[in-house]
Amino acid sequence: MAADAKVKNHVQDIYVDENAVRRDMLLRRIGKIGLYFNPIFAYFFLWSPILVLVIFSFNRSRSVSTFTGFTLRWYNNIFNGVMGTEVGFSTQNMLLALRNSMIVSFSATIIATIIGTMIAMSLSRSNFPGKRILDAVLFLPVVIPEITQGISLAIFFNVLFGWWQSLTGQRIFPGFHTIIIAHVAFNISYVAIVVRARMANMNPRFEEAARDLGANEWQTFRYVTFPLILPGVVAGGLLAFTLSLDDFVVTFFNSGVGTTTLPVFVYGLLKLSITPEINAISTILMVISTVLIGISMLLQGRTALR
Amino acid sequence: MAYDIRLKNVVKVFSSGKHKGVVAVDNVSLDIEDGEFFALLGPSGCGKTTTLRMIAGFEQPTEGSILIRDEPMEHVPPFHRPVNTVFQDYALFPHMTVLQNIMFGLKMEGLSGDAAKQRAYEALELVRLPEVANRRPSQMSGGQQQRVALARALVKRPAVLLLDEPLGALDLKLRKQMQYELKSMQQQVGITFIYVTHDQEEAMTMADRIAVMSEGRVLQVGSPRDIYEQPQSRFVADFIGETNFISGTLESHDNGVGHVRLAQDTVVDVQMPKNFSLSSGAVTIPIRPERIGLLPNGNDSPFHNMEDITILTGHLLDSQYIGTDTRYTVKIPGDNEIVVRIQNVDYLETVDFEIGQEVQVFWSLKSTHVLDH
Ligand SMILES: Nc1ncnc2c1ncn2[C@@H]1O[C@H](COP(=O)(O)OP(=O)(O)O)[C@@H](O)[C@H]1O
Ligand SMILES: [Mg+2]
Repeated sequence: MAADAKVKNHVQDIYVDENAVRRDMLLRRIGKIGLYFNPIFAYFFLWSPILVLVIFSFNRSRSVSTFTGFTLRWYNNIFNGVMGTEVGFSTQNMLLALRNSMIVSFSATIIATIIGTMIAMSLSRSNFPGKRILDAVLFLPVVIPEITQGISLAIFFNVLFGWWQSLTGQRIFPGFHTIIIAHVAFNISYVAIVVRARMANMNPRFEEAARDLGANEWQTFRYVTFPLILPGVVAGGLLAFTLSLDDFVVTFFNSGVGTTTLPVFVYGLLKLSITPEINAISTILMVISTVLIGISMLLQGRTALR
Repeated sequence: MAYDIRLKNVVKVFSSGKHKGVVAVDNVSLDIEDGEFFALLGPSGCGKTTTLRMIAGFEQPTEGSILIRDEPMEHVPPFHRPVNTVFQDYALFPHMTVLQNIMFGLKMEGLSGDAAKQRAYEALELVRLPEVANRRPSQMSGGQQQRVALARALVKRPAVLLLDEPLGALDLKLRKQMQYELKSMQQQVGITFIYVTHDQEEAMTMADRIAVMSEGRVLQVGSPRDIYEQPQSRFVADFIGETNFISGTLESHDNGVGHVRLAQDTVVDVQMPKNFSLSSGAVTIPIRPERIGLLPNGNDSPFHNMEDITILTGHLLDSQYIGTDTRYTVKIPGDNEIVVRIQNVDYLETVDFEIGQEVQVFWSLKSTHVLDH
């Protein structure tokens, strides 16, 4: 008898409140569904405007509200110099803008990648007073609104050139140099952050081993450090190139005559009206950017360096 | 005697971050001879790696000086020092093949082409890995990487090879094999090895001399036998192997033999080290468990009338069978508990002891020794 009671008691201990379990399961199921739909909503908001743009770049009619059928006409227009019905668009102007964009992006990327890599190296490999502050300041251009950067750079150039004029009597006008300097200014941070992450992931023993085996500082950099951080440098460079290529705000405030870049050109068209050609150009720009960013991310994720 | 490496009163204080200053190495002086296999032994965090890194040139001593072949190394960067390092995690360059890794050091010397290749292959022969030349480090096992790291350092023909726990990442069996190979390799090439380890057995089996470190200081330098037989401090006695510490009071000494009272009616004789700091007072007698014999009380010990044998009576508290030996815990006069290890052999008559039984423990004067704390 006593033994029996014990067993029962024991079993009762294991009994659970079935209602509580059901309630729990329900909550968890709702949670799961929520978790599943949450990113879908998020991505929908992120991507739907872009999706609309892409879809309407293939729209047969000029309308941007109803889709009437598929065509490549607008892409054809861009590349074959067929003028749109709207004034101001010509393939020649677009290609000119594209050329300007390339000049700016390539120069800014190369300069920003070199300087950004150097900053990343000194921040992660040496110790100097004020390093922590510099480290924090590095992120500023990433968080400061672009409009602030654009305007502040414009004011900076204005002051600088005014001062130069009062000194030498020479007047300097904004142009490629101001755009490129402005782009370098905001790109350095992005490059430095990406390269720094790569450096932080690299075992410092590799560099010590190189020095141990007789490599001086330059040889250590040339044969060990640089090859190991190269994927990070390329990734940083691609990121910089992308940011530079589609930058509008900073460019807008610092451009001069004859330096219209592609995004500024598109903006100019937009002022007249939204045409399917704009959609087509934007789609092409977006595809290029996406591919570059994709490669950049692949490179950043490559091979552990521990 | 030619010294390859001399450390004179070397101090290293790390003063970075929030901590005021960590004294990683505290007034270390070492003279390491040409061709010696020298082990730096101590628990984790005692400053072994820091000492090695100062010799290699990766860290600068805060005080003191380091001489390699009588040259002061103060302003000599690592790439100009005639030493090479085998890192604990090997640090093989991941973007190079094994051959490129090994030839890297030669390339930095300006040696290239067939001559360099030949030396690299010789080095691979030496570590018995000739067939992996074109592999990447990531395609090899830990043991193979270890050998490549060794070849990469040895191909430079350094005066001194520094090894920082080089076998730490290997499994036990491989470690034993590599211990043997490293030792014979060292004898073959005749290079001075400075070998960092926290494994006392490894140090004992491989080294010609051992420096035992604790909290940044070198406590004792000597041959494995010296360190084991004549530990000069409690720490060394405890860290190397197992030791009983018997406490008593030194009453007098004559002819190098001290008389230590354990209890009112018990005085034992011990060997006195030269220049012992005390002539009387509280002392500790360290004695190894395997140096003590055990017999049931009442038996006439075969050693009874021999000179220099100390015999004490006590009773058995515990016995523990551990395969090769049996460990007996015995309470002896003066509230001392000691461990006695008796090897389990079949060619002698075995005695079955019972817990609580009265027993005799005995040891030779040669096994004794005294510490001042
Ligand atoms: N770069 C460093 N900065 C600050 N403290 C350090 C540094 N390197 C080592 N230490 C400290 O110095 C002491 C000795 O370290 P280490 O030489 O690595 O010991 P071991 O190799 O014997 O384990 C430890 O307390 C460690 O925390
Ligand atoms: Mg260490």
